[in-house]
Amino acid sequence: METTDRAEVSLSRAEQPSGAVAINNVRSEFRSKAEANKIRKVKAAEKSYGRGRKIDVKNVKDKKLKRNLTNLEEKYQTATLKAKEAEILLENAGGFLEAEHELERTYKVRQEDIVSEVNIEVAQKKFDLKLDQLGPYICDFSRNGRDLILAGRKGHVATMDWRDGKLGCELQLGETIRDVKWLHNNQYFAVAQKKYTYIYDSQGVELHCLRKHVEVSHLEFLPYHFLLATLGTNGQLKYQDTSTGQIVTEIATKLGTPVSMTQNPWNAILHVGHQNGTVTLWSPNSSEPLVKLLAHRGPVRSMAVDREGRYMVTTGQDCKMAVWDIRMFKEVNNYFTRAPASSVAISDTGLTAVGWGTRTTVWKGLFSKEKPVQEKVQSPYMTWGGEGKRVERVRWCPFDDVLGVGHSEGFSSLIIPGAGEANFDALEVNPYETKKQRQEGEVKQLLNKLAPEMIALDPNFIGNLDLRSAKQREADKDLDAGPPDLEEEMRNRARGKNSALKKYLRKQKKKNIIDGKRLKAEEMYKQMQEKNGERHKEKVAELGPTLARFARKE
Amino acid sequence: MPGRQAHGRPLMPKSGGGGRPKHRVNNKTADRKSRNNVLDAFAIAAEQVPQKKAKGVRTRDLDEPEERPQKRQRDDEDEDDEDGDEDEEDLEDARPQKKKAKNSDDFEGFSDGGEDSDGEEWHVGVGADDEDSELDSDEAFGESDEEKFDGYAFSGSSSNKKGKKAKKGGNDSNEEEEEEDEDDDLESLGSDAIDLATALDQYESDEEEEGEEESGSEDDADSESSESEDSDDDMEDPSKLDDLQKMISGFAGDDDDDEEQLGSKPTNKLSLSDLGLLGVQDPHMKKSLKLMNKEEKAAKPGQSKKLDIPLAKRQQDKLLRSAAYEKTSETLERWIDTVKHNRRADHLVFPLAQNAHDAGLDSQELLPVTKTTAGTELEQTILAIMEESGLGPTNKPKKEDQDNVEEIAARKGLSAAEMQELTRQKRRERELFSREQARQKRIKKIKSKAYRRIHRKELLHDEQEMHDAMVEAGEIDSEEEREALDRRRALERVGTRHRDSKWAKLGKKAGRAVWDDNFRAGLTEAARQKEELRRRIEGRRKGEEDSEDSGSDDYSAESGDDKHNKKRLLEQLEHAASYADGEAESGLMQMKFMQRGEAQKRKENEEMIAQIRRDLDSDYDSDDVEETDIGRRQFGMGKKEIILPGQQAAQKKKGKKNITNDMSNLQVTPQQAATTQVEDTSLAASVAGAWSKAPQEGRKSTKKAAKVSVGELDLSNAAMLASKPKPKSKDAGAAKEKKSSSSAPAATTVDDSSSDDEETIHLPLAIRDQELIKRAFAGEDVVGDFNREKAEVEKEDDDKEIDNTLPGWGGWVGEGISNREKKRHTGRFVTKVEGVKKEKRKDFKLKGVIIKEGRVKKNDQYLATSLPHPFESQAQYERSLRIPVGPEWTTKETFQDATKPRVILKQGIIAPMSKPVL
Repeated sequence: METTDRAEVSLSRAEQPSGAVAINNVRSEFRSKAEANKIRKVKAAEKSYGRGRKIDVKNVKDKKLKRNLTNLEEKYQTATLKAKEAEILLENAGGFLEAEHELERTYKVRQEDIVSEVNIEVAQKKFDLKLDQLGPYICDFSRNGRDLILAGRKGHVATMDWRDGKLGCELQLGETIRDVKWLHNNQYFAVAQKKYTYIYDSQGVELHCLRKHVEVSHLEFLPYHFLLATLGTNGQLKYQDTSTGQIVTEIATKLGTPVSMTQNPWNAILHVGHQNGTVTLWSPNSSEPLVKLLAHRGPVRSMAVDREGRYMVTTGQDCKMAVWDIRMFKEVNNYFTRAPASSVAISDTGLTAVGWGTRTTVWKGLFSKEKPVQEKVQSPYMTWGGEGKRVERVRWCPFDDVLGVGHSEGFSSLIIPGAGEANFDALEVNPYETKKQRQEGEVKQLLNKLAPEMIALDPNFIGNLDLRSAKQREADKDLDAGPPDLEEEMRNRARGKNSALKKYLRKQKKKNIIDGKRLKAEEMYKQMQEKNGERHKEKVAELGPTLARFARKE
Repeated sequence: MPGRQAHGRPLMPKSGGGGRPKHRVNNKTADRKSRNNVLDAFAIAAEQVPQKKAKGVRTRDLDEPEERPQKRQRDDEDEDDEDGDEDEEDLEDARPQKKKAKNSDDFEGFSDGGEDSDGEEWHVGVGADDEDSELDSDEAFGESDEEKFDGYAFSGSSSNKKGKKAKKGGNDSNEEEEEEDEDDDLESLGSDAIDLATALDQYESDEEEEGEEESGSEDDADSESSESEDSDDDMEDPSKLDDLQKMISGFAGDDDDDEEQLGSKPTNKLSLSDLGLLGVQDPHMKKSLKLMNKEEKAAKPGQSKKLDIPLAKRQQDKLLRSAAYEKTSETLERWIDTVKHNRRADHLVFPLAQNAHDAGLDSQELLPVTKTTAGTELEQTILAIMEESGLGPTNKPKKEDQDNVEEIAARKGLSAAEMQELTRQKRRERELFSREQARQKRIKKIKSKAYRRIHRKELLHDEQEMHDAMVEAGEIDSEEEREALDRRRALERVGTRHRDSKWAKLGKKAGRAVWDDNFRAGLTEAARQKEELRRRIEGRRKGEEDSEDSGSDDYSAESGDDKHNKKRLLEQLEHAASYADGEAESGLMQMKFMQRGEAQKRKENEEMIAQIRRDLDSDYDSDDVEETDIGRRQFGMGKKEIILPGQQAAQKKKGKKNITNDMSNLQVTPQQAATTQVEDTSLAASVAGAWSKAPQEGRKSTKKAAKVSVGELDLSNAAMLASKPKPKSKDAGAAKEKKSSSSAPAATTVDDSSSDDEETIHLPLAIRDQELIKRAFAGEDVVGDFNREKAEVEKEDDDKEIDNTLPGWGGWVGEGISNREKKRHTGRFVTKVEGVKKEKRKDFKLKGVIIKEGRVKKNDQYLATSLPHPFESQAQYERSLRIPVGPEWTTKETFQDATKPRVILKQGIIAPMSKPVL
């Protein structure tokens, strides 16, 4: 009865062109404006900063738990609201190139047009390095985007502070270079050379020769785990801890010579592209791929994962570019490239740069986490090239609207408006850091270093409940492990004032059971006593009788 | 010791006369105290020698035992008329107190006269009485008694004595004073206080009623009960105890003495005659006596009148403790809320704010500094400066106000009184008004949801009726009115940033549009909104127009070119798209699942359209870059036959069938291919098998053995295709690419000529490329391989049965064993290993994905082995883990809140809480 009334009311309020009757939310009818406003705010905050579904507190029986959980939920909500409110502090707004009218296309805008329009400081970021002797060149930006490393295939390596145009070091290695990578900061970089992988410092001094990494074709560095991952032409995937120097894992991919490799910055999983069009996902904790998916019909030439770890873009030899939802493992969209794309990269804002043939195309909106269904983009955002420079690698500069393109004739830096994250967290990665800050940051990074065992498809698994059954657990137990060592147990477990040993003996005294364990414990106790006695004697010998110090010295 | 002195002996007023004046107490409380103490002592004494007293004295008889001797003394005075007076006294007792006071006054007058004169007689009278009856309660104690009752305080009585001693010298006539004292005593109890005697009576009558049967052995029962109370293990007599406790709680507020007294309360009766106190004149005494008599009458003949043995010390203590416990728990309960609050508090700060030196002061607002309040030198200086500069707090305005009032009054010719009256009236009016307002508010509140719900319906109905009537009368044009309504609605929606809004006007005045980007954005927004509303009013939807617009735009944009055919195609595509968009939705289509299905379908359609359009677009792009399109048509691809969408759609339907069986579309000449590709590409995504089914003519040129048997495609036509010069080179190029990439991917190079070719190709070629590539990669059956691998993995992870049967175990093996026998022995010992069933795999529904089942053991060390205690479910626990703590993920405020220690200590003395906070 009431609903029909409502329907009439709403009908009289809002006419639908289709003649349909819209029934408004009955509950929201009676909300006060302030209340509705608050709910809207909370919803908006939840959307961008929410942390999953709330727990149903109503069904909790335990009063204390109920109260605690209610408090917890409140904390969640205040945290999200505060985070949303703090957005006001993000003072820099990123903007994209926009067409003024429908006739105009952003991809027709050339670099020269942009350079002529922007201020000098920005215009300087557009530059070309002509290095046609030792090409094709590959490039890599350091984590804060300050430094750039260029490596020509024929052995030329150069690092530079690219904004200042200052050369850091320049090396002529004289052998094939397959890949190059900055480590955790701009002080070290790894170079995959003809046979081994080497680590150099910022001055170009060779620090290490990693002889276990043979014929490496791809390098990746996991900054939070301090792991250098290398992928050899023989398909060996190796993880080396750069802070301790230990090799963590060596895994055989068993799928022939790999074609490409990238990392998922969200969960530190490595994606390896293979000849048969499959992409495998690896963690150092498992000798088999966690996931294997068929992305292309030909070799997977290049891959990139967005920074939130939601989407992956792969390009294949079959002239296709596929967008994957990497959490659901579903292909979202499929694009056609006119030549097999040699390199693909995703910027912080989600722009996707694809280098194919002599051209580079930048796509905008290939994926968007807000949309329930990803739409197929019709035209690219920007394009560059077509001048005979075969693109070898494209890389985005972090925190800047700059795309670095390494090609057969050197390196080009392009201005792509809206590519960089406008608001950086200087405590995380600081593009303007000083030497001191860098050093401090390095220490902090090392202190916060994550163990390789923490790498998993879902990085939030830590602390979760082990859902194995008792039976399963029993079955999983290591049967070869020996019995726990009594001595270790006694020595290491000391809660409170008394040692575990003393406690054990005290408890056993009452029982009058003499077994091997007790004998051992008693023996240990005796040893301990002796040791203490000796120490005491030493002290006495050293210091003399107790009151000797008060005796008058003659 | 004063207690040992014999008093009440007017014979020796100087030597031993301390006894009488002792009782002339001015201090009422002291009197009462001493009385109580004496009572106590008496009770104990009674307990000590129960046999002496033949009959028990009731408690109320012990109420004012110290008065008894006094009464005796008075009795002595008029002994002769005592017997006769007894009744009179009773009557007097019943009379109101004032009258009694009068009486006493009368009596006083009488006694005054007779005192001096009849002094002799009194002496005689005293002498006539026996010694015992004359004994004062204090006197009744022997030395040994005193030792026994060491613990009891007699200070009250002793002090009384002292006071009386002092008075004795001045005044001999103490009788009337005693009377007064007694009266005072009664009055001093207060209105709500209850006389102890009556209280005890109340209690006893209760007790007696229920204890009637066992009354004969009350002592026994009592002792029993005391015993049972003593021993905790025994069952207590609950009813008695309850009664006791009830009574005690009734007196909980009284003095300690009262409680002590209660403890020693005897229950047995003792008649006055037993004590030899026959001539009682004290009204109190008489009252109680009368009550006693009544009870005696009521009681059964066999009932003993013995005084109960007072409770043992332990029992008394126990009662005391319980009473004290109740009292303490009551005081402690006041703290419960505070303690709970503090226990639950997230943070505690010590020292407590409660104990701070400025605890009660409000630090929120500052009082204005005036000359009187300016305390410090600084304040005074500042005040002086301000005064100097004319900013100081002066009374000028106030004066002005007053002056104003007076002026007005003077102007109006009103007197001060009239003026006052006026202001009062005004105030009253204001008061009334505010009251009215409050009432209105309340009424509004009362007219809440339900009220409105009911009335809304009514209102709507009325409105509708009125509207109908007006329409009937032809008063309004309904169309017009609707528009007006629309307009109104639209205006409502425009919001604040309207063209005519304050914001806009202000901005216009300030010329903000020139420099303020935000303002400009707002203006455009307003304009856009206006436009949208206008459209809405016109009854059109934005989407429709947009699509139309874009369609026309596209058309106009490209009409300059000579590719009319393509344009038309595009246009028609647009039409098709817009048609799909603008389809009216029926009621059924409003349903969610229908919409979902529809959306799915539409998406597919749109994809198809988009594919075609994009291909066309990309063609334009390439045209834009290098316009060498025309020159390339020499290969016989110039005359494209563009199939109109209508036909195309028809073909599409056919296409799906065609492509599998006769593949006629693939057999056409390149000229035709250009047209067919449009649909092929659209189908490409759906025909996954095309890769495995694609022909192998590319293989021929690369001279690789054809392993895959996929011969559905007509190869003769493919040969024809290969014979065409350009496609062949493309084909070869693709093949070459394929070959080189398989050997070393990084070294994949396409020579310049071919890449040039690639760049110069136009649309159809690009699309054809896809087909060629498809063919190029067709050799390797990647999809098939992958599916096979997946099936293998599935099988491996699935449940397994392992046959543990050993040949020869429980049966013969070797030659000559029949097949039946062999069969019987196979599969005798089978163990089943549980795995992951195919349907339960994570990748069960995902195509082209294999997800590893099972655990990653190295990750297990970071899992919680069991659910931690307070949590009831996994979800609760894991939720509690997910709360963001680090500064990287939260604001500074949240971070600090989250990491703030529970107990914060600040400098200072940490004193305990002085009072409950809540």
